[in-house]
Amino acid sequence: MSLFLQLFVNGLIGGAHYALLAVGFGLIFATTRIVHFAYGPIYTIAAYVAWVTAGPLHWPLPLAMLAAAMVAALLGVFSYQFLYRPIEERQGSTLVVLIASLGLFIVLENLTGIVFGTGGQTVAGFEGGIHFIGPVFFTTVNVWQIVSVLILVPVLAVFLRRARPGKAILAMTDNAEMARIVGIDTVKVSMLVFALGSAISAVPATLILLRDGANPSMGFLAVFIAFVAVVVGGIGSLRGAVAGGFALGMIESLGLWQIPTEWQNSISFVVLFLVVLLRPQGLFGAARR
Amino acid sequence: MVKKSGWLVKFLAAGLAAATLGLGLTAQAAEKPQDPKVFNIGAILAMSGKANWYGTVMSQGILQAVDEINAKGGVDGIKLKVSIGDNKSGSAQAGVDAMNRLIDIDHVQAVLTSFSPPTLAIAPIADQKKIFLINGGGVSQALIGASKYLFHNRSLASDLGRAAAAYAQAQGWKKMAMLSWNTDAGESVVNVVKPYWEKLGGTITASETMAVGAANIDTQIAKIKASNPDFVALWLFSPDPGLAMKRIRELGMKQPVLGIEYTADIQKIGGSYMEGYRYFSDYFTPSAANPWSEAFYNGYMKRYGVAPEFYAANYYEGVYVIADLIRRARAQGGDYWHGDKLAAALRANPAVDSVYGGKMVFQANGVAKKRVAMFVVENGKQKFIKYVDIK
Repeated sequence: MSLFLQLFVNGLIGGAHYALLAVGFGLIFATTRIVHFAYGPIYTIAAYVAWVTAGPLHWPLPLAMLAAAMVAALLGVFSYQFLYRPIEERQGSTLVVLIASLGLFIVLENLTGIVFGTGGQTVAGFEGGIHFIGPVFFTTVNVWQIVSVLILVPVLAVFLRRARPGKAILAMTDNAEMARIVGIDTVKVSMLVFALGSAISAVPATLILLRDGANPSMGFLAVFIAFVAVVVGGIGSLRGAVAGGFALGMIESLGLWQIPTEWQNSISFVVLFLVVLLRPQGLFGAARR
Repeated sequence: MVKKSGWLVKFLAAGLAAATLGLGLTAQAAEKPQDPKVFNIGAILAMSGKANWYGTVMSQGILQAVDEINAKGGVDGIKLKVSIGDNKSGSAQAGVDAMNRLIDIDHVQAVLTSFSPPTLAIAPIADQKKIFLINGGGVSQALIGASKYLFHNRSLASDLGRAAAAYAQAQGWKKMAMLSWNTDAGESVVNVVKPYWEKLGGTITASETMAVGAANIDTQIAKIKASNPDFVALWLFSPDPGLAMKRIRELGMKQPVLGIEYTADIQKIGGSYMEGYRYFSDYFTPSAANPWSEAFYNGYMKRYGVAPEFYAANYYEGVYVIADLIRRARAQGGDYWHGDKLAAALRANPAVDSVYGGKMVFQANGVAKKRVAMFVVENGKQKFIKYVDIK
């Protein structure tokens, strides 16, 4: 029973991490329909910026996270402005955008290795507390991971429903063509979601840096999980992205209770296949908001 | 008298003919060596991907050795040139692509290979094209006998694992929990250690696996803890033992942890949680008794600003092994610059100078016999405990 409880808590923690990744990726994907694979290395770069600022520069952690978010937002905007938008203007197909995104992924991942080194990096001297409730353990960073979801998701939801730019994002998510017709500047909205989505990735990036350290290839699994969570949750749904992230975290953890751990990486694929086959619109696909 | 002198002439003529024939044969054996303009050698390393740390370290050792040899005039006056291919952190297909490029474009006759899957994949090519292979990094048991031209100057992981198991038995521990990579490297250790440990009278309480570079291993560690072992064995490689140690200690497990690798990256990831980690490994350390080791160490520090890992030492040493074999093959003369001639030279005399000190002797299975060392991590640094002979 204690193993089950531990796996349940592990699932919650992993799910929180996946949910944040999915929210950032999903925001970009749902609004622009661009499968932004370079979200992975941007998440990686955010982790390295947090490392440089919190580590060698000794900035306080919140400031380091803010710096990481700003750099990530800038990179997101640059990706759109200098790569995706020119392709869109030339009427490039979805496939061309996808290939460009993969190319950007490789370029950024290699640049990260060149700039920051190929080895792993950790914030020297940082050791979060370890807590036990009965037989179940978790760390302070784990708590931050869950708290960050509890703060960021409602704030984003309020922004999308109440703020003017947020409403524009939702309008474009529903129907980009109609949004243009009613006078919404979809280019600006696209830039905004690239900035917002990328900035959000800096939060899980900083927390994973504190928990496990950063390495140049950490972005692959991040963008892969984010993509699966968004599809599972339902494209265009904030609730869906969060639910998809938590569902993946839970299934990945509890699923290995009785299944050998060598199947860990397969579980996400199995979930993806099942959802695509049984409910292609995702868990919250019908309710778009 | 005339008759006598006839016999004498015949005898002298026969002697002269035999001597001429003998001289001729000798001259043929010492035929002038057909030298290439340059000795092209190759390396297939993890230059990109999750495990590119290995490629960086190994290539640094190789480049230092090549530069040193060339600075001294090359091998018998002929320069060495190395071309480095990328196996993309252990991809078999990438290894094959790199091998074909090295053979077809760079015309190499000797290749320093790394990682088990690409090495296994290129082994048939080496057999077909007669390319000498030396592996200083791959640790899978499956590598033994994969090619008649494949040699190893790295102790295989299964040997290190057996050393760890023997140590555990000597401590009186009975219950082992294992966490291994879900790759050939990890599985090969499990496949050898599990029966070995059970033969020693021990039991396996948990056998969990993880992907290379996996971020989330909380489930594996939770299952290991729930199995209540006497000790935990990590059949993992850099940097994953760091993450595993961190999680094991965070989860409140106090049991001893044994492993088969420790690097600066592992220490960086594991931090203070690495304290007490005991591991078995090839061991490179410079010593005054071995001036070559000191020269390598100092040269490496000067070039790269960090102390060499044993992986750097193995690949540095690998280049010198190739250079030595080239000299031996060249001494035989003729068309000597071929991988099979290098392999034959090594089999003829399997003792080769080692940067670790003294000579290493390649066994019939192609693996160089080296002592392995046991270490414990104290205050963030490795502390040598003792050398262990693998039985």
